[in-house]
Amino acid sequence: MTGTSAKAPPDPYRDILGVDFGPDRLNSNVRAFEDILNAIRTLRECDLTDVHPAVVFDPASGYGEEGAP
Amino acid sequence: MSAGLWSRSIESLAPDLRSRRVSPVDLTEAVLERIRQHDGMLKSYVHVADGALEAAWEAEREIRNGHWRGPLHGIPVGVKDNYTARDMPTFAGTTAPGFSFPRKDSNAVARLRAAGAVLTGKTRMHEFAWGTVTPPTCNPWDVNRVVGGSSGGSGAAVMAGLAVAALGSDTGGSIRIPASICGTVGLKPTFGRVGRSGIVPHTWSLDTAGPLTRTVADAALILNVLAGADPGDPSCANRPVPDYAASLGQPVRHLSVGVCRNHFFDRNQDDVSNAVERAVSDLASQGMTVREFRIPALEYGLGAIFAVELPSSTAYHDVSLRNGRTGHFEPDVRTLVEVGRFVTGVDYLKGEQLRRVLMDDFRRVFSEVDVIVAPTTALTAWRHDATTLEIAGEQESVLAASWRLTYPFNLTGLPSISLPCGFDRDGMPIGMQVAAKPFDELTALRVAHAYERTHDWVSERPTL
Repeated sequence: MTGTSAKAPPDPYRDILGVDFGPDRLNSNVRAFEDILNAIRTLRECDLTDVHPAVVFDPASGYGEEGAP
Repeated sequence: MSAGLWSRSIESLAPDLRSRRVSPVDLTEAVLERIRQHDGMLKSYVHVADGALEAAWEAEREIRNGHWRGPLHGIPVGVKDNYTARDMPTFAGTTAPGFSFPRKDSNAVARLRAAGAVLTGKTRMHEFAWGTVTPPTCNPWDVNRVVGGSSGGSGAAVMAGLAVAALGSDTGGSIRIPASICGTVGLKPTFGRVGRSGIVPHTWSLDTAGPLTRTVADAALILNVLAGADPGDPSCANRPVPDYAASLGQPVRHLSVGVCRNHFFDRNQDDVSNAVERAVSDLASQGMTVREFRIPALEYGLGAIFAVELPSSTAYHDVSLRNGRTGHFEPDVRTLVEVGRFVTGVDYLKGEQLRRVLMDDFRRVFSEVDVIVAPTTALTAWRHDATTLEIAGEQESVLAASWRLTYPFNLTGLPSISLPCGFDRDGMPIGMQVAAKPFDELTALRVAHAYERTHDWVSERPTL
């Protein structure tokens, strides 16, 4: 008994991506995603290593001016 | 009832309403009669307000008693169905069971009400503001053709005189696309210029509220009312609001116009490109300097906007997705909400990184130009049953083509106003957009107004 043999590996769609569709729906969505994926693949090729994302985290947001020190 | 009141602009009506030469009740009755006559065919409204005439009577009483609230007082305005309102239902374009939205005025509706506008009803939109069409709404120029989307009901209603103006929302082009396709003006302000509290979200970092109107001046008058802080919207800027209408009519001869030669002119219908080229020449003839430029990173823009808006919409609908309610969505919207799960966190953040690249690229351009002029849509109104069209010699999906020229200004958050600049060989309107620096709607409006007043496109009306 090693305790490691019974557990199935995570399902790439259901467990990793959180997709919970039936097989037919999954297949049709994967097909529908092809054109979108092509556009995203182009983006993936772009080297953006040194670029800060446009969305900037602001820990003071929500305090208002009265919350400023 | 006065014939033709429904066809007039806010700019022309406001002085007459103030001086009581025109009655808000007569104006509202004219618009409501127009809805009764034509909306069975156009299908631009999902709800006609019960209280419109009552609000018009109230406006009449107030004006008679010397309490004129401003240029929108007594003006009938339609509201896109994703803005909540205290006295009208909100469906956000869905018939799926299990959704209910508050009976409370959204920020924009509250501002319109405070300005004395008469709310005519809720205009039809594509479900949850997805998509660049608005079935089953028909185009007033040819009922066999689409109105664009997702604010298509607003576009059709304004063009056909079923509202003097209307609210829209723009995530990837949803104000400017129907404006272009229907022949109205459509203003997407800077992201954060107009508060969005009370608008059913699509994509938090892209959604922008704004008006569809008959003229540029009308868009300025409505922006005067809508712009400003909204405590209920964390993205809304608390910046001073200039008088947008007061700046119109000032000379533009010392300004410069930028024309982006890649992306925006790569693949358009010939009539569209030709009309916009003529418009650029017209602006040059008014003394504006024309500078051409290129932004190569736009090649990655489509991937970026997909990577941002798909998971954002899916996150908003996550509970509905898990409990099966999305199974009741329209098939196209259901698919888009479901496939948002396929976009990884890395893809999303690369989309946000690409946005920064584009923002920096456009900032550099705006150090040399005051506005950018481009076509709004690569194609004009297409037939309801068309899924692809030949554009510049290639077969292309109409949906893919319809937002190609609008989403760059959503990714960058820049203000952009679409206005008519001609008609194609089939008599369908052509739109061009004028974009400006962040929070410089004033300059975009000035240039758009300078073009508009030297042409007669806004007086063209479809025969219903």
